[in-house]
Amino acid sequence: MTRIVEIPTNFDERSFDQFAQSFGEWFPEERLLFDARQAQWASPYALLGMLTAGQALQEATRERPLFTLPASDDVRSYWARMSFFEHAAELFELHGKVPRPRAGTASDVLLPVTPVRGSDDVHSVVGRIQEGAARILSGELALEAKATMGFAMALSESCQNIVEHAGTGGWVAVQAYTYRRRPPNRRVVTIAVSDAGIGFRRSLEPTQAKRFGDRWRDGAALEAALIHNVSRFRDPGRGQGLAGIKRYLQRWNGKISIRSGTARLAIVPPWDEDVPLAEQLPFFPGAQVQVVIPAQHPES
Amino acid sequence: MVQTIRIDHLLRETVTTPYRNLVTRGTGAAVRTRIEAALAQSTCRLALLDFSEVDLLDFSCADEIVAKLLRGALLATSCTVVLRGLRDDQREAIAHVLTHQRLAVLAEQADPPSMGVLGWISDDARAAFACLAGAAPLEAEALAARLGWDPVRAAAALDLLARHRLVAWADGAFQSPPLT
Repeated sequence: MTRIVEIPTNFDERSFDQFAQSFGEWFPEERLLFDARQAQWASPYALLGMLTAGQALQEATRERPLFTLPASDDVRSYWARMSFFEHAAELFELHGKVPRPRAGTASDVLLPVTPVRGSDDVHSVVGRIQEGAARILSGELALEAKATMGFAMALSESCQNIVEHAGTGGWVAVQAYTYRRRPPNRRVVTIAVSDAGIGFRRSLEPTQAKRFGDRWRDGAALEAALIHNVSRFRDPGRGQGLAGIKRYLQRWNGKISIRSGTARLAIVPPWDEDVPLAEQLPFFPGAQVQVVIPAQHPES
Repeated sequence: MVQTIRIDHLLRETVTTPYRNLVTRGTGAAVRTRIEAALAQSTCRLALLDFSEVDLLDFSCADEIVAKLLRGALLATSCTVVLRGLRDDQREAIAHVLTHQRLAVLAEQADPPSMGVLGWISDDARAAFACLAGAAPLEAEALAARLGWDPVRAAAALDLLARHRLVAWADGAFQSPPLT
């Protein structure tokens, strides 16, 4: 038996739950087929979500899932430029014509899909991003020059959550694109980070579950980490990474959302209409973080 | 005696990447260990930690290097630490992690050249520090008179500054470290 995981046509944070729903129970008993033929667009968050699912299945030594590539040449080409297929080939049995990676990447791809397994990867990611980030943040998004350092800092801290807490590797990608959810359209830069690790609830459980009692769920764990800066470490200096990211986002009117297990928590700026907390979502392994920095002036 | 410790040199000894970014806890801990080793071999009264050739400093490294240095090995020495060459974003990261832990450190400011405090100290301590900075050594009574406080209040503020090693006490008077 094969279970079909349909990749949403427009696959982003909003349609992620539809994607997660299609797995049924984790781990699904059947072999999986990821059907991306109808895909028209996928955000970095969505690309990482697919890889994370593949990683979780691989780490659970499940049968290698099948993956049918998008029918659209443009979509395949974009996913190739994001280095998606390069990593997907290690996790899935790919079906369809994989475009050859072209020399150089498009200017809107600040960081293609990149594995994060240890501190060296964080160094590399932060080093590689700085020049491109300065160009996009100052040039396209009209942020002050000093926003670039804060952006790199937010990227570093987001990636370190994987190294410090996930218990396994993960992925990061950074891209600039036009956010069309709500007029006026906005140019944004997005950092997406995802892992297939233990998630926030299990990470914080040994030190926090007792305090919350019956209320201890994925949503409570996310609130503890993102709102109250709680860390699983008792060291008083811990928990400041997410606090630092929030400070940066507050200054530049940005958004952060974290999905872990069956919950998703967001700090929502006025330009977006997301809900702050969503619970009882379809389960998905690990943790998925999205940071969005908007242009300071919306496009007309 | 003043000892200058180039943080970029320690970073190069610690990581092999070509970048000058202080990121990740592991890197911060390794750099701090080298600072502690340098201070342990030194008899200096003032250590200048020079960040001027460092690009990015993230919160984790700010905590591992500066906060843990202040909370740990530095307490076993009589050395005062001053941070040099910080950019605004680095200054903010350090202030953020120190404030959260109610710690404070001295930091040079370039324009105009002056000495400032990063992190948490009380308003009174901050006012007392501003009064002492760049001035001749002051006794608690003299500081109280200058600020229009009672001597107990001035003594409490100076005590806090001294406990954070933001001022030195010598010959019966308090003074802030001179600009070097």
